[in-house]
Amino acid sequence: MTSTVRPHIAVAFFGGALGLSLGMIGFGDFAELNAMFTFGDLRMFLTFCGAVVVAGALFFFFTSDRPKGAPIHRGIVPGAVLFGTGWAISGGCPSIPIVQLGTGYLPAVVTMAGIAVGMRAYRKLNAKYFHFDGGACAL
Amino acid sequence: MMAYWDWWMGALALGTITFFYHMLVGRRFGVSSSWERVVHWKVEKRAELLDDIAMSDAAAFQAALQEATRAEFGDDSSSVAVAAPPLQPTPPPVSESARLPLSASLTLLVMILVGAFTAAIINGRFELRTDMGPAFADIVVDGPLMWPTLFVGGVMVGIGTRMAGGCSSGHGMSGCSRLQPVSLLATSVFFGTAVVVSTLLLKVI
Repeated sequence: MTSTVRPHIAVAFFGGALGLSLGMIGFGDFAELNAMFTFGDLRMFLTFCGAVVVAGALFFFFTSDRPKGAPIHRGIVPGAVLFGTGWAISGGCPSIPIVQLGTGYLPAVVTMAGIAVGMRAYRKLNAKYFHFDGGACAL
Repeated sequence: MMAYWDWWMGALALGTITFFYHMLVGRRFGVSSSWERVVHWKVEKRAELLDDIAMSDAAAFQAALQEATRAEFGDDSSSVAVAAPPLQPTPPPVSESARLPLSASLTLLVMILVGAFTAAIINGRFELRTDMGPAFADIVVDGPLMWPTLFVGGVMVGIGTRMAGGCSSGHGMSGCSRLQPVSLLATSVFFGTAVVVSTLLLKVI
């Protein structure tokens, strides 16, 4: 097996597993998502927190490196506010519109188009005005 | 119709995916970065060619790197690139953090779709529809206004995730599970904002 094929197999497996899990949990269901954000039902909130704890425990016990992460720049907070607002009104963090489409919600294509336009716009805005350092090399 | 997973089942699934992705693929698990690579496929394709050039021609690599830096950060960055010491004519080491093929990023997104479709078939929820369901219509907007609302929401997600440097998988699960300060800050802000906006949508608007 070549080195080009191997990452595709691994990524394909984890992509499929993520889509399957998100669909079985209900992240593509707007009613469930709104119930999570308004604490009307704690199931998905606990899922999110529990996933962080599970991954954290695995990283802590089975890895030795402790990456410090990307630098904190002036764009983190406004970017997170924009993302949180967009997630709440469209139901789409970047993987969720794909999950919604896989469940049969055709308008999710419009959310995906919006995400693509937003990402292209941000790169231009960052090059021209913001100059935020995303710290890609530190990830 | 099958019930959704209990919280502990979902937590185990997402937590182990986050960990084993990092261990086997050698990169932080993050969907928005894959999105961005696919959206900017021309630039990313050029970056892949850069990697190849770097292995054989250091001068051409430096020139191409300056061009890519100008494209990313604007003309102000040219002084930084010029001031940088010349590259040694040795190929950069290939580490576990080496760039994934662009097609692998596309594979991730396509397989999320395949996985979600499989889940919808398994739990009996697959239904082709031209709306976003009754909850979206009740809580956010109904009728033709749905289309611009989804588009604007998507634009906010696209700009926001790139400005904040990650999304619910990259910052939320990968970064928070490793207690990285930037991820803890970003996650608390985007989740807190989503709580406020969702509450306003549900109870006020």
